[in-house]
Amino acid sequence: MNSFYPNQGVIKKVKFETTNTNTYTLAYSDQKLQKDFSPAPGQFIMLSIFGVGESAISLSEICKNGSIITTIRDVGSVTNSIISLKEGDYIGIRGPYGNGWPLDKIKGKDILIVSGGMGIAPLRGVINYIKNNRKEFGYLEILYGARTPDDMIFTYEFDKWRKIRKTRLELTVDSMPVKSQFECQLGLVTSCFPRMKSKPRNSVALLCGPEIMIRYAAKCLETIGFKDNQIYLSLERRMKCGIGKCGHCQVGLKFVCKDGPIFSYRDIKPFIHPL
Amino acid sequence: MNAYVIDKGSLNVLLDRFLNEYKVYGPTKPGMDSTFDEIHFIKDLHLDYISTILPPKKFFHPPKETLFSFEIKNRKFSSNEIIKDDKILLFGIHPCDVHAILKLDKFFSGDFKDLYYQNRRKNSIIIALNCIEPCENSFCTSTKTGPFLKDGYDLLLTDIGTKYLLEIGTKTGRFLIERLNLKKANKVDINEKNKRLKLMEKKFKKFLNISLLPRIARENTDHKVWIDLAERGGVAGSFPCLSCGSCTFVCPTCYCYDVYDTMDISLKSGTRNRELDSCQLLEYAAVALDGNFRRDRKDRIRHWMMCKFGAAAGGESSSCVGCGRCIRVCPSKIDITEVAKVIRGG
Repeated sequence: MNSFYPNQGVIKKVKFETTNTNTYTLAYSDQKLQKDFSPAPGQFIMLSIFGVGESAISLSEICKNGSIITTIRDVGSVTNSIISLKEGDYIGIRGPYGNGWPLDKIKGKDILIVSGGMGIAPLRGVINYIKNNRKEFGYLEILYGARTPDDMIFTYEFDKWRKIRKTRLELTVDSMPVKSQFECQLGLVTSCFPRMKSKPRNSVALLCGPEIMIRYAAKCLETIGFKDNQIYLSLERRMKCGIGKCGHCQVGLKFVCKDGPIFSYRDIKPFIHPL
Repeated sequence: MNAYVIDKGSLNVLLDRFLNEYKVYGPTKPGMDSTFDEIHFIKDLHLDYISTILPPKKFFHPPKETLFSFEIKNRKFSSNEIIKDDKILLFGIHPCDVHAILKLDKFFSGDFKDLYYQNRRKNSIIIALNCIEPCENSFCTSTKTGPFLKDGYDLLLTDIGTKYLLEIGTKTGRFLIERLNLKKANKVDINEKNKRLKLMEKKFKKFLNISLLPRIARENTDHKVWIDLAERGGVAGSFPCLSCGSCTFVCPTCYCYDVYDTMDISLKSGTRNRELDSCQLLEYAAVALDGNFRRDRKDRIRHWMMCKFGAAAGGESSSCVGCGRCIRVCPSKIDITEVAKVIRGG
């Protein structure tokens, strides 16, 4: 089996999120591949547009029937051409790759989710997993920051998340233009920390977002009293292969694609802070 | 005893045997420096060489290759894998380069296999040649990758005066020389080899102390030497790094590559290719929205040095083999052994 060879997939559904972000439901053209596709929350796939290139995209929802759900924002050449695709168009898929969130290790604990911008996408699978297995987890707190309310994705999920038992959702934005679709707190996602209900004892923090947000959020959580092995974070790099051979995603002693993208803050701390 | 001897004058017997079945590549000297090129006749071969500019990595992990071609019809696509099955024989590779190939073998296997690399490796035969003169910049005694080879070869040649000592490493190697009626080596020949090894080891001028080096490198990520290398120069007479990437392209253990598509003018077919990439180039760690994780030259040169000291994600598989090519090609006269000395505090 050639690891570089993408399999043909088809776009089943396109869901509008924001002006430059869509959620896609994909399926392999090959029934067997579709059946065998069983990813874990936090893993990613490589999407190919032939003639443009390949890009690593995280899975934003985990489906039992093997559907592949990803949320894509138009930021580069590959994502730009994906955004212009319609239902029924074909796309190259390979994966899933990476390790996924450590769901076994975090069972029985209070969960704090800190996410920024598109960072909520790989965490949505975890939130929905907790929702479906509510008894196995403690208190759930979701902090989500974005640039403006209009840049927030999965807004249709917010009410559902608020209704999960023992759950708190807090939203912040950097700025609030007039005529925004809804109102929320101003400030960076770290500004929610003084108000949060999660206590360091018996909790686990899951972080995903722009790397600058991850660095500061992790540092802030450490000062509050979280230990570095209670913090997990999801990193992102521009990957060329997704299988730990091309070298582009190296962070210190780790490949983000093969050893990550989810790391314990204890393992990755020496490498992500600029020196 | 698995050793034979062959007179220098009758080396063509050996070469003709190989030329019958394989494409043979070996060291040639088209100009001032030597290079690995296809050998057709014994006169092309230039075994008395100091390391080539490009390492034999180019045969297994070529500077540029096509992974597969694709066609787009009715918005659907189909692709054809391009895997070649040429059998090649590399004649006269030095021990440091053989060690580098063994490291790449390890790197390109594992959970995800690189079929292209492994296929080429499977279809190759290595006839190594022990060094009897050190290269000007090499330090293979320090990295334990030379000057004499212990494993990783099919056949191994050692110059012992008027003859070559020929040792067999694998079944393939034995098969290759089976019907050549070579003379068995005697004790004197073996002793001569060992004597030359001892003599050779004394001739090295450069050294790199590798004990605990990955750990020492990791603990010195904020050492002043990185700024010196990148901006100020002056590490044992070096100039500031130019980020030209020469060191990465001549390094036999640098594996990084870039993947990109090319399209036919009809926009109906194209190829996906890969090309060697260099961590010294600004675009290497660039991400969308103008982000870059190694924008500073300091970060890039540090990353490469760390990688060669075995303190990057490639670990042991991308660490230095002591061939000295990077020292030879660096336009700023940066010397990896001197950098190692500085971070060791000496």
